[in-house]
Amino acid sequence: MSTPVIEIRNLRKAYGDLQAVAGVSFDVAEGEVFGMLGPNGAGKTTTVEILEGLRIRDSGEVSVLGMDPATSGRDFKRLVGVQLQQVALYPRLRVHEVISLFGSFYEQQAETEDLIALMGLEDRRNARIAELSGGQAQRLSVALAVVNMPRLVFLDEPSTGMDPQARRNLWEIIEGFKAKGMTVVLTTHYMEEAERLCDRVAVMDHGRIIALDSPGALVRENFAEDAIEFVSNDGLSENDLGELAAVTSAASQGSAHSIFSSDIPRTMGSLIDLAQERGAPLEGMRVRHATLEDVFLKLTGRTLRD
Amino acid sequence: MNAFLPLFRTNYRDFVRDRTALFWTIAFPVLFIGIFGIVLGRGDDGASYEVGLVIEDQSPQAATLGEVLAGFEALALTQGQRDAEIASLADGERRAVVVVPQGFGAAVAAGTPQPLQVHFDPSQQTTQQVVIPVLLRAFEVADRALTQTRPVVTADFRTLQSERLQVIDFIMPGLIAMSVMNGGVFGAIAMVSLRERRVLRRLSATPLPAWALVGADVTFRMVVVLVQTVLLVILAVLIGGVSVKVENLPALAGVAVLGGLAFVAIGFFLGAFAKTEQGFFPIAQVVTFPMLFLSGIFFPLDSMPDWIRPLVSAMPLTYLGDAMRQLMVGGAPVHSMALNLGVLTAFLVVFFGLAVRLFKYE
Repeated sequence: MSTPVIEIRNLRKAYGDLQAVAGVSFDVAEGEVFGMLGPNGAGKTTTVEILEGLRIRDSGEVSVLGMDPATSGRDFKRLVGVQLQQVALYPRLRVHEVISLFGSFYEQQAETEDLIALMGLEDRRNARIAELSGGQAQRLSVALAVVNMPRLVFLDEPSTGMDPQARRNLWEIIEGFKAKGMTVVLTTHYMEEAERLCDRVAVMDHGRIIALDSPGALVRENFAEDAIEFVSNDGLSENDLGELAAVTSAASQGSAHSIFSSDIPRTMGSLIDLAQERGAPLEGMRVRHATLEDVFLKLTGRTLRD
Repeated sequence: MNAFLPLFRTNYRDFVRDRTALFWTIAFPVLFIGIFGIVLGRGDDGASYEVGLVIEDQSPQAATLGEVLAGFEALALTQGQRDAEIASLADGERRAVVVVPQGFGAAVAAGTPQPLQVHFDPSQQTTQQVVIPVLLRAFEVADRALTQTRPVVTADFRTLQSERLQVIDFIMPGLIAMSVMNGGVFGAIAMVSLRERRVLRRLSATPLPAWALVGADVTFRMVVVLVQTVLLVILAVLIGGVSVKVENLPALAGVAVLGGLAFVAIGFFLGAFAKTEQGFFPIAQVVTFPMLFLSGIFFPLDSMPDWIRPLVSAMPLTYLGDAMRQLMVGGAPVHSMALNLGVLTAFLVVFFGLAVRLFKYE
């Protein structure tokens, strides 16, 4: 790997008594798509906003593109692209007007029409911002993040409010950024998004990074086993399931159960025996590999969207 | 900076596509001026006032008095019975009723005057200010006619201004000053709204310098203030019949911009205390509303009690209204022009400084 685009050491930031970021360190390499995964309030946004130069850290070392975002001001902001959460742009302006407005802030700017095409907003070109759907507004805000053709772009939960189709379109666009050699820092709480897009993922909780690796490695490190999932209305408790043959862990949410097993056939056999003995139905049974969601649940005891 | 023009254009688009903003900054002042112009306009310059005359004395002296009164064009005389005329006064059909009592002629002949009775409603301002003085003047003329004396002490009244100002001339510059104030203070709502919708924060992530953002916004507000002022001056002339001092119009535009800048600065300052657009309105109202009534734009300052004077002196609209009135119609100065401009500049500098200090991107 070449010199890192981003280097953070022991970053800390508190809001009053709340330690939002409690000692975070990581590097992001040139051309990498780096994901930050975690529930709301985990400290992802605060970390990213410090990297963007929008917030001032309490302590720690930060270098982005060889500069300190806190002190480099406009020289720094020229070079990075930023997408923020919950920005409601000028409601009475049209899509193409907003893109050219933001373009006018930079010496180097992409063609407005190219960006509109890239984001698939051609038929909304003349629509007012207030008339856009949540997904369209979100795509526009991603377009604005690359209006200066930056080497490094920060996307803070870019797929929020999108339907699954729009989300897949956005993923293709982000893969396009990567193909052009851009470095992308992405926060999300969709594990599928992180699994598909990210070269590496930092899992954050309570202001700390609790795991950092490629999505595949994170899963392998935490789960040598596959999962059996099924629905059963009653009669089977988490404890019962944990006692089954070759089971390493079990998790139940209501009537939906997941059990991780190092030997699927053995576990399956004992599960069926147990179900028959109890007269409990087993519905929608399937076997799957472990996912980042499972990793997150295992590491924090919570699901991502809690 | 090549972002200035796009930002200015953005302000313009945002403004002209916002019906509420258009209404309050353009339609509302136009309606206001229109209504005041129609109600108070110079149209009734040659108007006369209904006055009842009741003659209960059959003497030639009483008849002479009646003739003198009838000679005043400002008085539309109706002669009638006392009860009927008093009833008409109570109904509002007469401004005043003059009763010539029995024995008036005899008393005049004997040199022991018997007072006329004048009935009127003192709560009516025009009666107080116009009808009564005309009646007094008429009685004076009648007095000389009846006593055959010649006037000895006369006066030739010369006013400081070339024109005699009417209520409409007084009010119109005040209304324009009011529009400048509202355009400035409420114009700051655009910035509050950008902050509320986190656009300011988004802009702070770009290399756009803060001065370009504020500069384009303030420049746009000043264009709005100028358009408002020009439009309202034209309406004041066309509808209100106000005679405007044309040679002062460039200076009037300059004062409008200075006042506009001072009020935009105050608006920005107040904007620092509002998190949302909704929250800004009451704050701006609390500041602007008292100024409407206490800064002499509708009511002359000398009609106000002394204890309220310090408050009046602290209001920027007092100085803007006075400066605009002097320039537009040659109104009598309350303060010198230098003081007016100096105070407005001071408001601009102080509140812009405070606004910059309190400014937050979110």
